[in-house]
Amino acid sequence: MNYRDPELRDALAAEYVLGTLRGQARRRFQTLMMQFPSLRESTWLWEQHLHGMNERLAPIEPDQAVWQHISQRLGFTLANADTRVATDKTNTVHEQSSESLKQPQSNVVSLSSFKTRLWQGAASFATAAAIILAVVLVKQQSIDIPVAQQVAVVQGAESQALWLIEVTDNSIEVRSTSNFTPLANKDYELWMIAKGIENPISLGLLPKSGQLSLPKDSQFDAVDIVALAVSLEPLNGSPNGLPTEVLYTAELAVL
Amino acid sequence: MTMEQDTLLGLLSATAAGDKQAFAALYKQTSGQLFAVSLKMLGRRELAEEALQEAYVKIWHNATEYQHGKGLVLTWMISIVRYRALDMLRYHKVRKEDQFEDGQEATFEAPMSDEGPDVTKTKLDDCMGELEPQQKQAIHLAYYNGLTHHEVVGHLDLPLGTIKSWIRRGLQQLQRCLTL
Repeated sequence: MNYRDPELRDALAAEYVLGTLRGQARRRFQTLMMQFPSLRESTWLWEQHLHGMNERLAPIEPDQAVWQHISQRLGFTLANADTRVATDKTNTVHEQSSESLKQPQSNVVSLSSFKTRLWQGAASFATAAAIILAVVLVKQQSIDIPVAQQVAVVQGAESQALWLIEVTDNSIEVRSTSNFTPLANKDYELWMIAKGIENPISLGLLPKSGQLSLPKDSQFDAVDIVALAVSLEPLNGSPNGLPTEVLYTAELAVL
Repeated sequence: MTMEQDTLLGLLSATAAGDKQAFAALYKQTSGQLFAVSLKMLGRRELAEEALQEAYVKIWHNATEYQHGKGLVLTWMISIVRYRALDMLRYHKVRKEDQFEDGQEATFEAPMSDEGPDVTKTKLDDCMGELEPQQKQAIHLAYYNGLTHHEVVGHLDLPLGTIKSWIRRGLQQLQRCLTL
């Protein structure tokens, strides 16, 4: 067949766009489009011709879960812009988490009630892994609320949760728990330890009580973070840019 | 239409640059239209939502590939969801005849609003109006409902050869009319 014949080209493109070109013929046409730019242009023209028919379809709102699945698959939250590179980097992990979200969700609890229970210092504490799993399960995304991409739980000597750390697109949200008894004349500083970088990088001072939003270090998304660390420092933080006394470390989990 | 195109083009350009908020706004503005398209074709809500989801993932990744030659932004987006739905029709072998018989079509029928005084007639409407009623119906069934030639036969109760040539000639006539 001569695919340069305009009439044949148009007929094929029209049926491709209409949807009546099926099966093998459709696949073959798709391959031909890659080879023949004129066929591609013909197809675009037919798309413009026919897709106007859709203006006669009244819009139907899809279920909200569709958007949640899309943002989970793409691995982002929507409150803030981010770089495409950072998104792609975490794609594999998010694909997995979106798979897990396709499971029946009867065990989903709301994030707020989960947090309340956590901060009330209920008697038994989940291990960091369980907490992270729960956060994964309750990751209800919406367009307006920044949602954590990564989380960490800083645990004390007896595995009690001291801080919950949630990394969103452009900030690090930290909450201290009632398990934490701060020293009045000391501050607690958060660090990230990255692969290939000799010294820990300071992320800011942790709150001694309540919640604090720390700015996200510009390097945060660019480096491979091995762990987070909390150090004991004089008031106002490390005097020399290095941790004075490392108290705890925590693993960062990607949601 | 021009205003809509400008808005969507702005959002798509920002999306191409990785702006997630722009992408969310683009979704908000267009998902109802794209969902109507995929629901009409696939007939089943869960499949239609799957097609929609995959279309927007593709739109995010391919936003940089949009160019004016591909038509309006909405046209380009509709193409993406339609081709996805067509792939799914084949993969899931959704039997359209069954749907028509058991009344599912009525449940998920996207309302057609080509009647009434507030509807502006486009050139496409005029050109479609020039087709024979059955020709128009065959094209509608194929386009909106994603029916194959064979399925259109089942629906209009005419020989396959007749349906094929009607659709082919209908499209030729449509093109002549549209490019006048």
